[in-house]
Amino acid sequence: MKQQLTSTEASLPVLKQSKHSLYISYGALLLGYIKEVVKELALAEQYLTEVFNELKAQDIEEILKPGANAFLRLQQMARKKLSSFINTVENCNDQAEISAKKGITGNKFISLMNQEQQLVFCGIHYHGKNTAKLAEELNKPENTIRALLRESFIIIRNYRNDTAVH
Amino acid sequence: MIQQYINSGILEAYVTGAASDQEVKELLYMKATYPEVNIALQELEKDMELIAQQMAVAPPEGTWDKISGSINELIIRENNDPEQFTGRDESNYKNFTQPGTGPQYIEVESENNYMKVHKAWKWVFAAVFVLGKIFLGCAIYFYLENRQAQLQLKELKTELRLLKK
Repeated sequence: MKQQLTSTEASLPVLKQSKHSLYISYGALLLGYIKEVVKELALAEQYLTEVFNELKAQDIEEILKPGANAFLRLQQMARKKLSSFINTVENCNDQAEISAKKGITGNKFISLMNQEQQLVFCGIHYHGKNTAKLAEELNKPENTIRALLRESFIIIRNYRNDTAVH
Repeated sequence: MIQQYINSGILEAYVTGAASDQEVKELLYMKATYPEVNIALQELEKDMELIAQQMAVAPPEGTWDKISGSINELIIRENNDPEQFTGRDESNYKNFTQPGTGPQYIEVESENNYMKVHKAWKWVFAAVFVLGKIFLGCAIYFYLENRQAQLQLKELKTELRLLKK
């Protein structure tokens, strides 16, 4: 019992330190993503706080495991947290929403995609839909959805390479 | 075959959290087995970070305070948790004396308006109280007696004066 006590006491300040370091590295990136989904900074901040508050020592261990991508893990947690909210907002089928996204953030990638790619990328990235659900909604085979998603990433990759050259 | 797998879009679905459990299992196996898959995955992770960097929003001031505040609460609660003293371990009392084994306290002399008195003083205070009541009773009794006597004396004096006349 004594050992347990000591480890708990020691782990909380360590947990705080680890959270702080994650917050410094990825807080802005996560807040940007959450804000894109909820479209309101105050609400996005609330979600960000909840994501960090619910981080347990075990989660941090997973996040910081060698080979794991800390940001992606945190983004997955945020996506999970946002799932109930996502269900209440409109779909990406609405062209106005896609245009709005371009307008809100000046998201260059989305504007470089064609309409189909936008629908798939927006549905998966912002609305947390899986490929099967999106395939059903868009009445397309799952392979097509994956191919469209891949095309979206090729556009992003090309942009990355272009900006790296310049 | 590996290139076909990489080009299938499963990796993209994985990094965006859109892959099914079966696909995730398969991908983790492929990642561990084929370095090409691992490299492709790392590139996609960089792409995801790039998207996030484009959309990044600096958190408002005080956001971290809200997060750290909840951890501080946990630390305080942990230190004050009475459960830690209820264990049946007989050496529990040592937690208070051995440095580093139990919670550390800073001794603070509290300001107190009360004083401690020995129990024996209870009977003394009771006796003083009873005697006080008796004296009060006596004082009232003798005061009334005295007043009565004064009145009688006054009446007698008046009667004497009338008799003399």
